[in-house]
Amino acid sequence: MLCFTLLAAGCSTKQVVVEGNFPKPLLDPLPITLGVIYPSAFAEHEFFDEAKGRAESDWLVKTGEAQVEFWDILFDGMFDEVVHIRDWETVQRRAAEIDGVLIPAIGDLQYTIPTHTNVKIYEIWMRYEFRLVDIAAIHQQEDGALSFNPDERLAAWPITAYGKTPTAFLQTDEEAVNLAAVVALRDAGAHFVTSFGGTPDVAIWLDGIARREQDAARSSNDQVGDPQPVVDSAETSTAEGEPDSGEAL
Amino acid sequence: MSGQRIDRQTTRIAGLILLAVLLGGCVNATVDEMTYNEPVAGIGESSVVILGRRHKPDYDTEFDFIECIGDHIHSGDPSIEVINEIAFINQFYPWFEPRTAPLQPQTIDRLLQLPPVAARFDEMKLEYMIWIDGNTENTESTGSMSCGIGPGVAGCFGFGTWGTESEYEATIWDFTDKVEVGRVSAQTSGQNYMPAVVVPIPIIAPVQGTACDSLGDQLLEYLSAFH
Repeated sequence: MLCFTLLAAGCSTKQVVVEGNFPKPLLDPLPITLGVIYPSAFAEHEFFDEAKGRAESDWLVKTGEAQVEFWDILFDGMFDEVVHIRDWETVQRRAAEIDGVLIPAIGDLQYTIPTHTNVKIYEIWMRYEFRLVDIAAIHQQEDGALSFNPDERLAAWPITAYGKTPTAFLQTDEEAVNLAAVVALRDAGAHFVTSFGGTPDVAIWLDGIARREQDAARSSNDQVGDPQPVVDSAETSTAEGEPDSGEAL
Repeated sequence: MSGQRIDRQTTRIAGLILLAVLLGGCVNATVDEMTYNEPVAGIGESSVVILGRRHKPDYDTEFDFIECIGDHIHSGDPSIEVINEIAFINQFYPWFEPRTAPLQPQTIDRLLQLPPVAARFDEMKLEYMIWIDGNTENTESTGSMSCGIGPGVAGCFGFGTWGTESEYEATIWDFTDKVEVGRVSAQTSGQNYMPAVVVPIPIIAPVQGTACDSLGDQLLEYLSAFH
């Protein structure tokens, strides 16, 4: 019975559904309305590694749910407004306000555990591919799914992330891999935040948005400068709750 | 005949256990200290945060070691408010991750240019930021032990020993002046023993605990007006 258990343990699949508590970033949000599309390969991302020998186990690491949870929190803290684009109706309804659409993808994920390396550290390495496109580049396919033309993208850049955790007393392999994945996700967020504005194509896009806003502010100031009909106090008081166009910008 | 051999072996193992008990718990500790601008009147209502370095490729400073030092300081002088490390890192995410954490006190100024970061630091009334770098590792091991299991019987027989070494350095940053005001280091080592006659009995040298106490004492002496 014991031998059978040991043999079965050697052949089993170790499964990790990555879970963690992710903090909100401490940032002044950028004045941008960002559309976000999580492709299904991203939102349901999982990584499977087949055992190389009888002494090893297969590994299945499911990161999809944690990815969506983590990036949602990060984007919410980083941008003024985030619009999740799940269907064509959202594209049509919100197109006018969306400054750009971000589409993350996981290019690669690698992991090591002490039995692979003889080093007492569990590691996870990820490479993301971020693509930023204009809302006009999003199209609807015949089956209703959304797609975009890669040639119409505003920016595309990779983000690498690394997470490690040392072995610890009474900690299982699964717990350690989960911890390393959470550290890698946090590192991905830190890398994204610190490199976002410095990515050349993103910087051009941000400059364009800032210029558009300045132009809009200037034109609204010009309108304010035009002779206006005199309004009585009653009209003024009713408009007090609403921001005027100058303040809103 | 075989009974006599077992008796002799048992006596030998008992002798080893006695030796291990006598030697067990022996930890060598070396503490080095270089501090200046000591807050003679203590730190008042300000707070202190103790953070571990985790950017090196081959080790991480353990979270529980940082917690141990924080507890040591707070229990030595309850007036010193030590901010919990994990709470601090989460509150300042992503500015104290291994990739982004400041390595020099001067670089804090760059962080303070971010208004929400500056506002949170103000709320905390942070006076000192202490960075701990190092870890505890097991070193060479010797001895052998064999365990067996049979119908209704199970047990181990043998003797094993291994060493443990800790090496930590604390760097104290004065958060107001953005300068380093001291370094304290602690190196400890000890030998662990595991004799086994049916049941293995681990005799563990408190190497990391001694490093925590040594470093904690020095930091307490620096921060507290009463030590």
